[in-house]
Amino acid sequence: MDDLQLLRATRNDIGTIPAATLARGRERLMRASHSDPAPHQFEDVFQDEGVFGVSHDASRRSRSVRFRRGFAVAAAAAVILTGALVAADVVLPDRRPISAAAAVLEDAAAATVRTSDPVVLPGQYLEIETRALYGASSPGEGLTWDVVQADELYIPADPHEEWIWNRQAPVPTESAPEIVKEAARLQPTVDPATYAALTGVFRAPGGAFGNGEQYTIIGEPLTEADNLARDPKALLDRIYEHTEGAGKTPDLEAFETIVESLRTGIIPADLRAAFYGAAALIPGVDIMDSQATIDGRTGVAIGIAPPEGGSRQDIIIDPTSGLVIGEQIVMLKDYPGAPAGTVESWTSVQTSVVDSAP
Amino acid sequence: MNTDAEIVERSRYGPAAFGELYDRHGPDIYRYAARRAGDFVAEDVMAETFLIAFEGRFDFVGSTGAVRPWLFGIATNLLRRHHRAEERVLRALVKLGGRVEDPDFLGAVDERLDAPGNQARIARALQGLPAIDRDAILLLAWADLSYEDIATATAVPLGTVRSRINRARRKLRVNLTLSDQEDDHGRSAVAPRNA
Repeated sequence: MDDLQLLRATRNDIGTIPAATLARGRERLMRASHSDPAPHQFEDVFQDEGVFGVSHDASRRSRSVRFRRGFAVAAAAAVILTGALVAADVVLPDRRPISAAAAVLEDAAAATVRTSDPVVLPGQYLEIETRALYGASSPGEGLTWDVVQADELYIPADPHEEWIWNRQAPVPTESAPEIVKEAARLQPTVDPATYAALTGVFRAPGGAFGNGEQYTIIGEPLTEADNLARDPKALLDRIYEHTEGAGKTPDLEAFETIVESLRTGIIPADLRAAFYGAAALIPGVDIMDSQATIDGRTGVAIGIAPPEGGSRQDIIIDPTSGLVIGEQIVMLKDYPGAPAGTVESWTSVQTSVVDSAP
Repeated sequence: MNTDAEIVERSRYGPAAFGELYDRHGPDIYRYAARRAGDFVAEDVMAETFLIAFEGRFDFVGSTGAVRPWLFGIATNLLRRHHRAEERVLRALVKLGGRVEDPDFLGAVDERLDAPGNQARIARALQGLPAIDRDAILLLAWADLSYEDIATATAVPLGTVRSRINRARRKLRVNLTLSDQEDDHGRSAVAPRNA
């Protein structure tokens, strides 16, 4: 049983609606339908206090509100598109970068194109090693600590064939409370069933692990990635179209989409270069740290400042190789035990071709 | 038979048609809310969801498939107002896990033994999730929405839903493997069960 199955099984016997409750609710609705009040509650309901400042406030805007303001949204979209068009006109023809970040991204794009993708021959696998550090907590005890979790994904030469995913157990970092470290050590013997369900080697044809979901890039299945534009401006337009109405700002959301796509480690070189070019065209994208170290490797952290603090997501690029080496989330406000500037979590990604998989 | 979208369309001219939408989806909204925050809150959330949807019916534009996510999106946001109730439910579940130690329970079949322990683990893990991640994972697991539906319900791109669920599952796995052990540290409940 995996974590999702455990979750599904939890409280599965709860929540059958009593007939009287159903009837009461219908009566309330019918009463309201007779008085037919004007819309007023959406703004309130869709306001969001936010957690860790993750960009989602405006994304809570309801479909209804969005359509009610159809003209305003269309006008705003036109402004965005025009903005992108103007930026493209300024940047692309003479390849003169408009910011330091754009220069780094253009270097990375150029390096990416120079170093072609490793060829995965039949029988070989593309191995994507991911190492992530993130926080875990036990609210009951008021404890928080960091863990590092590593996994390796093996994608066969023909991506329709069986993918293999080796998931390792999360390991508390050195600074974790001793009781947590002890629990982690005891886990395999104390609760082998849970341990076996969550760690080990998993296999799935076409990469549809667990819930049958496969990787997608801006909504396209991985196998259809060839259909995505390689022209940065066209790709960015596609991203804005895909993320319309979501996120704190269209630019933040577009950048996040690019980070999510690159994070997979499976983007072909020409598309990766286009993503860099697209990121360079997003207004506000800038260098946040020119010497960001992630899991022992150093690169340039590129991000976009959210309008009102919270946290910021950076992508970390090695401009000389054009490779994404990871990403980080940096807190922009003081939180208990974590002052502004703390790297809340990071993920490092490393890709190589291997002859065998577990 | 009318599709959901047709009912919404029809309700613009004849408000009573909205009752049909309520009959179709009310019980599921209730169930989702009850699992998250208990029956008392569920009744309120369900009723409010349909009142808000009714008020917003002129603004709804979308396919039939978008109606259900639309309703769940409203319910999910309403549940934010009841986060204390949800916390109470989760705390109660954590305590419920302690019943594994109850000798009366030891006579039950393995599955029944497993259930409260799992519930406690899950509840503890859910307590540790940020609200946006918790919404995404529970819309998937408890409301049976697809990734696309969750994207519609929470008005974020599919990629964001994917990363929220991935993040939630990652944290769930960590807390499932660690927090419960920490809680059971020094007790005998878990070890003999698996010995």
